[in-house]
Amino acid sequence: MSLRSDPTRWSTVVKTFHWTMALLILGNGAFAYWMDGLKPSLHKINMFALHKSIGLTVLALFFLRLLWRAIDRRPPDEPAPGWQRVAAHAVHGFLYLLIVAIPLSGWAFNSAHGYPLQYFKLFNLPALVEKNEAWSDTLANVHIYLFWFLLLVLVAHVGGALKHHVVDRDDTLRRMLPFGRAKRSTSTSPGETP
Amino acid sequence: MNPTIRRLSLLGLALALPLTAAAADYQVGPGSTLGFSGKFQGQQFDGIFGKFDATISYDPANLSTSKFDVTVDLATAKTGDGDRDKALPTPDFFDTSKFPKAHYVTTGFSKDAKGDVVANGNLTLHGVTKPLALKVVFNPNPGGARLSVTGTLKRLDFGVGSGDYKDTSTIADEVLVNGTLNLLPK
Repeated sequence: MSLRSDPTRWSTVVKTFHWTMALLILGNGAFAYWMDGLKPSLHKINMFALHKSIGLTVLALFFLRLLWRAIDRRPPDEPAPGWQRVAAHAVHGFLYLLIVAIPLSGWAFNSAHGYPLQYFKLFNLPALVEKNEAWSDTLANVHIYLFWFLLLVLVAHVGGALKHHVVDRDDTLRRMLPFGRAKRSTSTSPGETP
Repeated sequence: MNPTIRRLSLLGLALALPLTAAAADYQVGPGSTLGFSGKFQGQQFDGIFGKFDATISYDPANLSTSKFDVTVDLATAKTGDGDRDKALPTPDFFDTSKFPKAHYVTTGFSKDAKGDVVANGNLTLHGVTKPLALKVVFNPNPGGARLSVTGTLKRLDFGVGSGDYKDTSTIADEVLVNGTLNLLPK
């Protein structure tokens, strides 16, 4: 367990953020697909409420993660051509943007439709926009298309990680894996350098 | 007292009683509203009934002869949300095809600790009759009077919300009922 990242590995905190959010985002997307097909019922209403609560959790985790990013160290990029490093960071930027935009568009859609927003039946959150039927439909579509876009960006993100792992055989993926150990060691433990 | 005087005084009393004790009859004027407030997912929503009839006899000085008799057309409930308004008349809630109307009739009036008037009566809703107390505020004005009533009922007492919809963590059990009537002399 490492609280802070070091030059060879992401810290347990960063890994927990990364994988928890990955699981919640993809899980909530699949969940949404399933719940949308339910017959109108109180069960369906409660499932939508759960989806919203999970989405709000992702949003909250994202801001905590940004905060952590500001105080934590970062391992340097693994060697790669300049354009690939730019692409990798651009993909990260897009993912961050979408991680904020998807919950916010859902929240706005919820408000425009006039639905209440309750976090796990604990407390209510205010409306983001005024009630407006026409906007509500548009925002619902924005919410859904942004998620499809996220999946597209995710293909690049995962593809990049796998390329580093399989082709370059470097630590890019390994240092983010839950129990991964970096093959390479660095200046922090020079004795282990092969 | 001799029998004649007694008979006369009884007659006088009998004649005088209706004049002093009868509460004024009113009809419901324009701008009157009858509504309810519930809570869904922790947020209040307000509904109104588009159609209702009320027969009001009221005199704050003669509560014993005062009476409210109100019939509500449940299918006319509007809450500002299309999905909810579509759901309310169904068997999941009001079941208006079986129970089209709600009926409230007072059995008497009393005063609470603060001296406010309380109407005691029975509400028949969804085929169930239960007592319902309403706080009464009556303000006479040159054209008649303004009558406001508020009370709280538990929807599940009346079986409003069946199956899954009994879940009070999503739809609160307590429902506030309120009315503001512009009363015109009959």
